[in-house]
Amino acid sequence: MTMTTMTNPATVSTVPGLTAPTPTALTETKTLTMSKAINEGLRQAMLEDPKVVLLGEDIGALGGVFRVTSDLLAQFGARRIIDTPLAESAIIGTAVGLAYRGYRPVCEIQFDGFIFPGFDQIVSQIAKFHYRTQGAVRMPITIRVPFGGGIGAAEHHSESPEAYFTHTSGLRVIAVSNPQDAYSLVRQAIASDDPVLYFEPKRRYHVKGEVVPELGPPMEQAVIVHPGTDVTLLAYGALVSTARDAALAAADEGVSIEVIDLRSLSPVDYAAVEASVQKTGHLVVTHEAAQSGGLGGEIIAAVTERCFNYLESAPLRVTGFDVPYPPAKLESYHLPDLDRILDGVDRVLGRR
Amino acid sequence: MSDSSPQPVQLLSLDGERMPHGDFDPWVADLDGPALLALYRDMVVVRRIDTEATALQRQGELGLWPPLLGQEAAQVGSARAVRTDDFIFPSYRENAVAYCRGVALTDIVKVWRGNAQSGWDPYTVNMATPAIIIGAQTLHATGWAIGAQNDEVDSVAITYFGDGATSQGDVNEAMVFAASFQAPVVFFCQNNQWAISEPVRVQAHRNIADRAPGFGIPSLRIDGNDVLAVMAATRIALDRARTGGGPTFIEAVTYRMGPHTTADDPTRYRDPAELAEWKTRDPLLRLHRLLTLLGEITPEVAEATQALADAAAAELRAGCIGMPDPEPLSVFDHVYATPNATLERQRTDYAAYLTSFGSSDQSGEGR
Amino acid sequence: MIQVFKLPDLGEGLTESEIVAWLVAPGDEVTLNQHIADVETAKAVVELPSPVAGVVRVLHQPAGVVVQVGEPIVTFDIGGAAEPDSAPTPEVEDATENSAVTEEPSPTEQREANLVGYGPAVERGGHPQRRARPGAVAAAPSAPDPAPTPAKSGGERPRSTPPVRALARDLGIDLDTVAGTGLDGLITREDVRAHISESVPASDQHEVADSSGAPTATPGTQPGTERETRTPIKSLRKLTAAAVVQSAFTAPHVTEFLTVDVTPTVELLDSLRADRQFADAGIGILAVVAKALCLGVDRTPAVNTRWDEPAGEIVQYNYVNLGIAAATPRGLLVPNIVDADRLDLRGIAAALAELTTAARAGTTAPAALSGGTITITNIGVFGIDAGTPILNPGEAAILAMGAIRVLPWEYRGQVALRKVLTLSLSFDHRLVDGEQGSRFLADIGTILADPARVLTMV
Repeated sequence: MTMTTMTNPATVSTVPGLTAPTPTALTETKTLTMSKAINEGLRQAMLEDPKVVLLGEDIGALGGVFRVTSDLLAQFGARRIIDTPLAESAIIGTAVGLAYRGYRPVCEIQFDGFIFPGFDQIVSQIAKFHYRTQGAVRMPITIRVPFGGGIGAAEHHSESPEAYFTHTSGLRVIAVSNPQDAYSLVRQAIASDDPVLYFEPKRRYHVKGEVVPELGPPMEQAVIVHPGTDVTLLAYGALVSTARDAALAAADEGVSIEVIDLRSLSPVDYAAVEASVQKTGHLVVTHEAAQSGGLGGEIIAAVTERCFNYLESAPLRVTGFDVPYPPAKLESYHLPDLDRILDGVDRVLGRR
Repeated sequence: MSDSSPQPVQLLSLDGERMPHGDFDPWVADLDGPALLALYRDMVVVRRIDTEATALQRQGELGLWPPLLGQEAAQVGSARAVRTDDFIFPSYRENAVAYCRGVALTDIVKVWRGNAQSGWDPYTVNMATPAIIIGAQTLHATGWAIGAQNDEVDSVAITYFGDGATSQGDVNEAMVFAASFQAPVVFFCQNNQWAISEPVRVQAHRNIADRAPGFGIPSLRIDGNDVLAVMAATRIALDRARTGGGPTFIEAVTYRMGPHTTADDPTRYRDPAELAEWKTRDPLLRLHRLLTLLGEITPEVAEATQALADAAAAELRAGCIGMPDPEPLSVFDHVYATPNATLERQRTDYAAYLTSFGSSDQSGEGR
Repeated sequence: MIQVFKLPDLGEGLTESEIVAWLVAPGDEVTLNQHIADVETAKAVVELPSPVAGVVRVLHQPAGVVVQVGEPIVTFDIGGAAEPDSAPTPEVEDATENSAVTEEPSPTEQREANLVGYGPAVERGGHPQRRARPGAVAAAPSAPDPAPTPAKSGGERPRSTPPVRALARDLGIDLDTVAGTGLDGLITREDVRAHISESVPASDQHEVADSSGAPTATPGTQPGTERETRTPIKSLRKLTAAAVVQSAFTAPHVTEFLTVDVTPTVELLDSLRADRQFADAGIGILAVVAKALCLGVDRTPAVNTRWDEPAGEIVQYNYVNLGIAAATPRGLLVPNIVDADRLDLRGIAAALAELTTAARAGTTAPAALSGGTITITNIGVFGIDAGTPILNPGEAAILAMGAIRVLPWEYRGQVALRKVLTLSLSFDHRLVDGEQGSRFLADIGTILADPARVLTMV
């Protein structure tokens, strides 16, 4: 990442009459919503490196359907905040061309379920360029994806497609769970020379948290958000706070759950997971995505290989069902909640 | 300057006669005898390379080769118009373009031999490596062009693809973006009439060149076997892009004289009469006729050209056969630009596995 | 120089082709890539380009014949000396070889090319074989279980968890013989531990002090007839039996006896007990014997050795890991005190106490059971005077310490009641000869008879 002096960014705007005050970069700790934290992270990345450009539908004047990119167009101009035609494959494919020219494109996919038209460019092109060209061509592209359910939406707006991408070599996959990580990891993702799928839990966009303007621990690292001794509970995205709530409720019954926020889904921080499982001897993994072929299976297989003699019981997954994401009136049954997570904990601890 | 007339623009007749064309003539006025001879030499050499590579595949030295036989003028005429700071985004058949760009012959065949997924560093020749996914490269070219626009340089992206590719979503999306941003990109379609076994009429219900104006992109329809027309059209398009005029679509009407790839059998689906007809429109033949008329083809020239072709073929053969096989553990190289603990562990495990067989030879059996 | 050209795959994905026509004949000179034959695949006739420049020597198949891919079809003489990078081609009759053009067999030419590449590798046929690894086949990664006992009723494998299985393996317990008290008959850690402490001790075990250990029935005891009771040979009993058998019938045992008037030592111990500095040190006769033994080892190192038959070497230990035979709830164990020769009397006493406590509690660590170099067995606690102890396998000597008896003994030329103890030393005559064994025993006796004499020996 190149450090440039903070020049006055062009305030060219495509919308006549649009005058917004030029926001300053985050310089001190603030309480922010997750969407605002991402906004600040994007702003900081764009200030630091003139090669960072954003592409996506409605990210300019509208500031994105979740307002994550608000005010950036006014600050950085239409050449760096690009409202694209409605074509996901082209959003990703033109980002490839920009990366060829040394840009660091940040693509926004408006909703998780719309990533699939761009799937080929992500998997056949972006993921493979570095390998294909033996390192000559880099794809420092970040693809931001609001993901997950719990917002009572219509079809295709509540997907959890992360497993398709963790299964694709050449990609890094991140899922944030809180405003601090949202800020820090979007900056790290943009700065990384590898392509990064950056998943934002959309039902947590409005949750507030303290944000320190720092990069924080490396994005490959998982973080223990609630230490414990009886069972290891792995989560990511929106379910991290659900998992933490479950740990607090379980403490009332004398059960001590260690909650780990994976943050990085590819690669997984197995060192942290192993250390925890060696301590507790029990493992539960939870995700919204469907069970079969999901990340839970991969992680549990790896943990079984690495920590077999420490496992006092079989690891267990608490996940969405193997169904297409259900309609709004049924989604509460499908999504893992505190009770289902604790039910899983009970099973691994032999309490039921 | 849209041109959707049924007859593609031709500056050179089958007999080698120079046909005047008011709009195109100024763009090739500089091509004197020596310049035309240079183009001819290029085409002879690339044809010879193509033939040699086909033979090498028949001899088991290459896994695959996509012949460009018949498309020499389309590729050479356009490639020689492109500037070194422009960037080329080809499909997988533009090996004549790679040659013109200065890619070493051994590097051209590296990917077809299976030693690597690509043969050269794109930045050394400003040409991307062959693209197997049909049409994907057109988006890359458009993005590059948007970047050039942002950077306020007058470099242009040119992307090659075939008639079949124009059916792919990516190609159409690329044209949407190119038009919307008025990006400096040239869409160069070699309509060689066939996409494996599917004739072009399955892909397009009207001339392919007619599509682009629908997106707001002017198009040129030219005789792809006429190196003069190709060069003129490419120059027109490049100039338009350089001067802020936005994208252009060129349909070069040509013919795939060989199979789709070396494992294809066109006799199963093509009429031999069609092949015979296109043989009369051979791009080298008509340029040779023009050069003969101009007195450029002397015995010395003929001999020198032959020698050049032979030398290229020999270099290609030697380079291909002499290519060392990649080391087993290199399968793990360059997946990421940054370290990845899980992959490193796999690599370590596999290295230990290979070592467990005791010998220093790690190539294994039956590979 | 001869080169054989075998029919390559021509990219049609077929395994055979018909030679339609030869365009050359033996004796013809051909150039590289010259069209030398027409070969038919499916309905297409394909031109075969010559892979070399040279002279045609042999056409192996006439026109009209169907040839398998890989079969030789033409032999060329390419003339001249062999080039540095070319080696003589494989013999013509070796039909299983691959390409003939390049010298090293190119794996690609075994394959049938397809539209997009070399195509799948050709199956070799024959019995599948794996790639050989040097050395013996590696043992299974997990430690081998003890000899399998009959499965429980129903033929089900015992259910347990990975850590408990690992524990059972380390202790030599067969899970088939353990009753599970967990959910659905799961064998728990406690079940394994309970199983150990319930092992029936045999009648000739040595016990440490007042071990209570009322023998309870071993789980898994098969009821026999009224007149006899049967117990499966397993666990520690089995291991112990194997050990003593191996020791007894491998090492030639010699046992020597020495009866010593240990009254001065007893008096020394009394005075130590009365001394505030040593009162709580718990130094007893066994500690003194142990100390004396270590000093004796120093003077006769041969008793602290091992016979390494496979290596053909005698190993001289330069340290003393002193084993103390102990009766534990599990059975006879010989935990050892590491580097006993470095410990002072107080240290030895403390180590002995610790060892005893652990043995009684059944918590002796497995690590303590290995690495011993010489052993003491205290038969005196049973009121026994002497015996012919069997060497701990791998050791050269074992000293049995008898009970202290008050006996009439010679003292200063008179008969007096003295405290007397017999030492019985068995040693491996391969490693220790009579003189050495005697001297060693005599040294220990000397120290016990007159502790002050130590000054002359160190």
